[in-house]
Amino acid sequence: MKLLRMLKSFINIICIVVPFLVFSQEKDSIVYKDSYGLRIGVDLYNPIGTFIDADRKGFELVGDYRISKNYYVAAELGTIEKTREEDFINFTTNGQYIKAGIDYNAYENWLDMENSIYFGFRYGFSTFKQTLNSATLNSSPFLPQQPLDAPIIYDNLNAHWVELIIGMKVETLNNLYLGFSFSGKKMVSTKEPDNFKNLFVPGFNRVFLNNSGFGFNYTISYLIPIYKKVK
Amino acid sequence: MQFNNSTYKRLNVLLILLLVLAITSCERDDICIDEITPNFVLRFYDIENIDDTKNVNQLSVQVLGVDNDSLVFTGLDSIAIPLKVTENTTQYILTIMSDNVTNSNRDTLTLNYTQESIFVGRSCGYKSVFNNVTYQLTTDSDNWIEDLEIVNNSITNETAAHVKIFH
Repeated sequence: MKLLRMLKSFINIICIVVPFLVFSQEKDSIVYKDSYGLRIGVDLYNPIGTFIDADRKGFELVGDYRISKNYYVAAELGTIEKTREEDFINFTTNGQYIKAGIDYNAYENWLDMENSIYFGFRYGFSTFKQTLNSATLNSSPFLPQQPLDAPIIYDNLNAHWVELIIGMKVETLNNLYLGFSFSGKKMVSTKEPDNFKNLFVPGFNRVFLNNSGFGFNYTISYLIPIYKKVK
Repeated sequence: MQFNNSTYKRLNVLLILLLVLAITSCERDDICIDEITPNFVLRFYDIENIDDTKNVNQLSVQVLGVDNDSLVFTGLDSIAIPLKVTENTTQYILTIMSDNVTNSNRDTLTLNYTQESIFVGRSCGYKSVFNNVTYQLTTDSDNWIEDLEIVNNSITNETAAHVKIFH
């Protein structure tokens, strides 16, 4: 009986001491901190786009601010001029846009890495003008074709839309990030021109038949660290 | 990479949402399938029995002022022919039995109208519709077109005849 009691108290001691041992081991390890701050950058897709397609001239600033472990407030600000040639019409869209929203980082970083695979939501707004450069009436090819009076400028147009984004950002040098993202967009409301249509909207890109669109971004950005916080 | 379970669930939901967006976004509008500038539609009726249609034989249609071959229709009770969009008047020479020199008969039909351009879409561009259309048959010693009934004063689609021709 005495032996059993001794064993019991021994087990008790183990039960009390072991967690302390484990805990103290954790306390011993290096503390990793996350950088919090403002990350600003530019979109590289537009300059590449301009290089490939001379009818596209654009510039976009991107930025995000980390508000918690996984959430970032993010925004994009841009301007674009894009000319598009279709079978019977040729038009230029010219305007500015702003997108604002939230990014959620779903990537659990090891050690002191600061990469992200994120999902985002944006609300987008754009003001722009459409210029119908030229148009030909779509009529019977049996008879001569008729060009329409052009150019026609449709001014003071605007659009509101929402976006879902999937993307990643990788810290390549200290505080320097390369990122790319893909977005699906859905138009909420537009101010349409009279007897024409917003076929392209700055920030939204090509407007498909059911008022949806796609986007691709390739960015380089720099993190201005403001404070650090233990993970 | 370390994900926990709830992250995975959120990931899945977002991925599905993106996929749905991507699929529904692929509606094409590169190929024009909508109605463009309408043709002028004539329907041929029997003068002796005005409720019955009567086919035309070897009807050739020539648009005046255009260097094109005539359009020839055979055994039809209705035809659709293009209107000029370059001006506000189109003159047609309608020759019946055009393959037969002795029996052929030419009649001239003139249409005057105003045009309106309407935007259709990305691939179709603009179409023209014709309003305030007047139809005028030039009378000669022997018209094969005995009578003409105006059905519609505007030509905006091709779903029904714009004039009835009795012969």
